[in-house]
Amino acid sequence: MLFNFREKLNSSKFLVTAEVSPPKGTRFSVPLEDARQLKGIADAINVTDNQCSIMHMSSLAFSKLLLDEGHEPIMQLTCRDRNRIGLQSDLLGAYALGIRNICLMTGDFPSCGDHPGSKPVYDLDSVQLLQLVRKLDSGINFAGNRLDGGTSFCAGAVSGTDPEKPLQLIKLEKKVRCGADFIQTQAVYDVGMFEEFMEAINHLEVPVIAGLIPLKSFSMAEFMNKNISGIRVPEEIMFRIKNAPDPIEEGLSIASETIKELMKLSRGVHIMPVGSHQNTPKLLSMAGISGN
Amino acid sequence: MIITSAKPLGEILALLKDEDDVFIIGCNVCAAKLKTGGEPEVLEMYRQLEKSGKHVVGWALPTAACSVRSFDSLVQKNEKIREARCILVMGCGSGVSTVASVTEVPVFGSNDTLSLGGSSENKLLLDQCVMCGNCTIGEFGGICPKSQCPKGLLNGPCGGAIDGTCEVNRDHDCVWVLIYDRLNKIKRLDLLYTVHAPQEHRTN
Repeated sequence: MLFNFREKLNSSKFLVTAEVSPPKGTRFSVPLEDARQLKGIADAINVTDNQCSIMHMSSLAFSKLLLDEGHEPIMQLTCRDRNRIGLQSDLLGAYALGIRNICLMTGDFPSCGDHPGSKPVYDLDSVQLLQLVRKLDSGINFAGNRLDGGTSFCAGAVSGTDPEKPLQLIKLEKKVRCGADFIQTQAVYDVGMFEEFMEAINHLEVPVIAGLIPLKSFSMAEFMNKNISGIRVPEEIMFRIKNAPDPIEEGLSIASETIKELMKLSRGVHIMPVGSHQNTPKLLSMAGISGN
Repeated sequence: MIITSAKPLGEILALLKDEDDVFIIGCNVCAAKLKTGGEPEVLEMYRQLEKSGKHVVGWALPTAACSVRSFDSLVQKNEKIREARCILVMGCGSGVSTVASVTEVPVFGSNDTLSLGGSSENKLLLDQCVMCGNCTIGEFGGICPKSQCPKGLLNGPCGGAIDGTCEVNRDHDCVWVLIYDRLNKIKRLDLLYTVHAPQEHRTN
């Protein structure tokens, strides 16, 4: 019997992770209710850290709320808002509260969000943050001082999946060299491209969990193709969603087919719906995934 | 070269609303090149302030506003500065501070200081250096990500670039793409595999 996400990572189980966002305010019942839909089907739940630079409740606090509800959170942590002191202090706090999984990333620039004039920090980048976590894991802090109790994080990182972008592949390689325990990717629509990506990083020993955003409409697909870095919705899928009588249903069909393909290529899928997880249980059952 | 842009006249008049008997100090280096503080701009400022009802007692154009020996050296350029009840410096922030350090009346700046840049082939180059005090530009083929990547990322690009343009400003190339091209050209792509430690921010 596998108990936690780290053990599952080291097993042969096909993993399901899913993303939830903390509330924008102090009332947390709605996102908590949303997370409840993932009980028994998601192996861990990513909690976003002020995603798109839009201010929300902290990922640390909401991760703890999920933990109290019996979920296994993956606390996302960006480099945007905290310097090395703030990052370490939040990491220690998270660990003390029982959070064991983290996913580290650079973070969108503040000008993308609702506080465009706020000071961008980026004291560390995502590679350096991974190194920092490994230091905390060894019981010392960034400055080399011994901690009164270190951490033991299961620490992941993120990546795009375009095999034609050597810079991204090199950065991913650095993340793995600096101790990433898993990689969660940008949304995959083009399975062929993802397969090439997996071939390009074949030499890296790291579990890759492929991102998935079920399409809801043709305009959403168009928007993502145009505005979201690293996302490429192929023509064939654009055609299907455009001509579908029920685009949401078609989006779920496409996503479930993608999951079935990804089962042969990746260690899991990471579901990031726009809006709620209302359709996530159905999507997973369409893909033949019954539960954890 | 320090890159400056001229504040709109309205903003300068607002700064000077309780002031009069203005002495103008230009800068004959960067600001002159950028036409934000050379002689023509100083004379134009003179006219505009007078037209707006301010009395301008005089002006001077030191070689560099950021390199002023003493108050006396300014007097040697134009002794009218003794009558000034305030000074408007048409240079960068450093020029304004330097002038303030040798004078005893209120000092204002007419420009916004944008970056340490340069110019080449008639093109203005912004953000060439952030004066971090720990130069590692050679590791990046001569293009500094500390200054040209808005996030100052040292280990490669973020995930925000689309078609090689920067997440923060789609009119700009992602500097990491430029670094890649440059390192490719000089056959040093191996440098991209270095894991760089964070920048140390220490006061001198």
